[in-house]
Amino acid sequence: MKDSRIGVYICWCGNNIAKMVDVEQLAEEIGKLENVIISRDYKYMCSDPGQELVIKDIKEHQLDRIVVAACSPRIHELTFRKALENAGLNQYLLEMANIREHVSWVHTDREIATVKAADLIRAAIEKVSYHEPLEKLSVDIDPATLIIGGGVAGMSAALSIAEAGKQVYLLERDEKLGGHAADIDLSFPYLNSVASFLGPMIKRVSEHKHIKVYKGTTIEDIFGYIGNFETSIKPNGGGKEELKFGHIIVATGLKAYDPTPIENYAYGRIKDVITSSEFEQMLLSGKILTKQGKVPEHVAIIHCVGSRNNDTHEYCSRTCCTTALKYANQLRSALPDAGIYDLYADMRAFGKGCEELYTSTSGRNIMFLMFDPEKNLPVVSEAKQDEECEMIIRMEEKMSGENIEVPADLVILMTAMEARDDAKDISHIAGISMCGNNFYIEKHPKLDPVATTTDGVYIVGTCQGPKDIPESISQARAAAARVLAGILRGTVAVEVTTAVVNEDICCGCQTCISVCPYSAITFDEEKNVSEVNEVICKGCGSCGSACPTGAIRSRHYTDRQILSQIKGMLNRGKLKITQTIIEEA
Amino acid sequence: MEKGKKAKKEKLKLAIYWGAACGGCCVSVLDVHERLLEIVASADLVFWPLALDIKYKDVEEMPDGFIDVCLFNGAIRNSENELMAVLLRQKSKILVAYGSCAHMGGIPGLANFHDRDSIFERVYMDTESTINPEKITPRPRFEIPEGELELPAFYNDVLTLGSIACVDYYIPGCPPESERLMEVFRAIVSGAELPYKESVIGALDKSQCDECKRTKTDNKSVKKFYRPWEIEDDGETCFLEQGVLCMGPATRGGCGVRCIEGNAPCRGCYGPPPDVTDPGAKMMSAIATMVDSNDPEEINMILNSIEDIAGTFYRFSLPASILRRKVMEETNVD
Repeated sequence: MKDSRIGVYICWCGNNIAKMVDVEQLAEEIGKLENVIISRDYKYMCSDPGQELVIKDIKEHQLDRIVVAACSPRIHELTFRKALENAGLNQYLLEMANIREHVSWVHTDREIATVKAADLIRAAIEKVSYHEPLEKLSVDIDPATLIIGGGVAGMSAALSIAEAGKQVYLLERDEKLGGHAADIDLSFPYLNSVASFLGPMIKRVSEHKHIKVYKGTTIEDIFGYIGNFETSIKPNGGGKEELKFGHIIVATGLKAYDPTPIENYAYGRIKDVITSSEFEQMLLSGKILTKQGKVPEHVAIIHCVGSRNNDTHEYCSRTCCTTALKYANQLRSALPDAGIYDLYADMRAFGKGCEELYTSTSGRNIMFLMFDPEKNLPVVSEAKQDEECEMIIRMEEKMSGENIEVPADLVILMTAMEARDDAKDISHIAGISMCGNNFYIEKHPKLDPVATTTDGVYIVGTCQGPKDIPESISQARAAAARVLAGILRGTVAVEVTTAVVNEDICCGCQTCISVCPYSAITFDEEKNVSEVNEVICKGCGSCGSACPTGAIRSRHYTDRQILSQIKGMLNRGKLKITQTIIEEA
Repeated sequence: MEKGKKAKKEKLKLAIYWGAACGGCCVSVLDVHERLLEIVASADLVFWPLALDIKYKDVEEMPDGFIDVCLFNGAIRNSENELMAVLLRQKSKILVAYGSCAHMGGIPGLANFHDRDSIFERVYMDTESTINPEKITPRPRFEIPEGELELPAFYNDVLTLGSIACVDYYIPGCPPESERLMEVFRAIVSGAELPYKESVIGALDKSQCDECKRTKTDNKSVKKFYRPWEIEDDGETCFLEQGVLCMGPATRGGCGVRCIEGNAPCRGCYGPPPDVTDPGAKMMSAIATMVDSNDPEEINMILNSIEDIAGTFYRFSLPASILRRKVMEETNVD
């Protein structure tokens, strides 16, 4: 270990850590270690008095390194880095030991948990002794923004940013703007015409002096980093155009689930079984007719097609129930005498005005029938010749427990929303992560819902998960606010825990270049060395471990720091706290 | 010294010794050819078992620090090697670990993938040419009517010189390039300022690729690893890009890329560049990034095409590596 003056702070996290880790004994024992000047335990290290404790000790005892044993660094590393700065110490002279997520929350034996906490703290002490002070870099932000996707979400974000006088490049792969909303007749819950607001919105976007719309245009690559992205596009397959921008908003939307694989519903086999998208087309055309051109006497709507079932998608698509209620209303108005049957699994009419829509729809002579989406999907089959309807739906009605037959001339399947087939391509291009079902993952599900793990890249609308129009617009405007805040700030501080190349050692073998997931490494032919662009580099360490010469160092995670960390973790010998465990083993 | 004449500069006292070595390092000293005259002009060889009949007891009788420079080649494999390492340290002003074995353990260091018992078993019982019905293996002490005989004790571990004695400088190579030896020798004789202690001398900081003339790109994706005889080398493309394992990137330059110039991939004898703790691990990490597949089975297949992984990556460096040796069974530990 390098000689240093280390302060160690062990957090109780209320009872979160203290109930499973003997924090008081730990603080006492750790205090006996070499180079540890102060060792304390405290109820809430992250609280203001907790941080004050650190600041006061740094000043009073001339501490030059700090270890905080608390929760995950993802949660409070920044908090304590700030505390170090406030005490006049470089913020990178901190190391956190995660004794909550990695210890107290996952163990049930207090003694063993305490020993493990001690191991992690010793590792942190060894590592922090080799920490070096680092200074953050600041880069300028290009005030233009690229928005991928010209649906409601993409257009809303574009308008918000353009209204503030900032340039927007709006890319749409189709030949027209509007996305899926353009294929919808009425919106729920108030049954207003979508076209009545979408048309003017498209017009405003198309004519806005700060929005440049590229229709029929896709994107293949984006280079750069927050504040300084660039790409080249071929609008409508024409000549190449170079774009530079500081932020990216991804609003690529969704696609409707294809219900063919669900045999019970006979989609594709019986021609009057249609999807909700197909029914919207029927509504937009103004005529509700069967394929034979007859006015249907019985119409059935089936919910949760492709949603809430482990064979298809486990998640709820969130908008289908209320859309089904909307259809029931539109059907009742268009076909006053028809039998209308709503086959649902659970009626999830949440959201403003939606439960009210359910209540009012219930009063319009609609028959609501419940089924079990996991065990007993209704079965659609063609009716016999002598029956008065075209199809029969057999189902076990859950409320009554009876097996019933529902007549139908037209069956509408409320299909799920799912991620687009090209979601993965866009995720690679924009550097976004995906969850298991191919929707994009936000940076934090609660605290940072439109940001992504790549700085400067935001996700809005249904590419992030199923949602309705107002939710998409809220996200779009939230992302626009984030982008505008960035533009207004003008510069951004970038993390410097990055890779650096020692040019005196680099031999030009170029092993590092292809392993970089961020294309941050280039080869300098002249000097015969690799170069890392520190602003693009995320400090993932791939190049550092690939580099066979030791020329690439991952700052803050150098070989020496990691080896000393391992040494610290394995060196149990001296602490009393670990003796009983060692003896038992 | 005659009065009135200018005092002649005293000659350096030079010693050369071998531990567990093949003899190649000593021969590399002879490889300086006619420049040996230059060496003996400014240095007296006071101890060199290969060439001079000077006994251990003669060395013991030398005052401490009597030898100016001792080139110690070979690893520490038995008690004799260790004894001499400690003795020569005591008698030398500058102790140089000369060659791969003294530096990192070298080829003898590969014995750390075994232990004493299994080595004796193989060497004294199992080899095809051995007839040893009484199963006699070397013992440190043996009683005969005339008294007790003593043999150096064979260790479980092959050790580096640096782990036994405090080494001033390391000159790497298997064997070191004679030209580098001359450069170091001339520097010492000229009284030039020597580099900081414990550093590697007679080698470059940059690795082999820096001097290698083959064309290199960032396209190092490999579907199969070949041994050199399995492919027709085009003589121009980076060995790694042809799927041939070359330790060049993880190995210091200084040898004049001798092997690569001879169309053979680098074996790694010059050891790692500064800041690399474990060249075998470093090179394995690098190789892992070159595997051109995302399918676990195919990845396995590609990696299995590497013959003798441990021997390839740790050919010269096992005792000095983080691995150090194969894990010993509790009962066999010294």
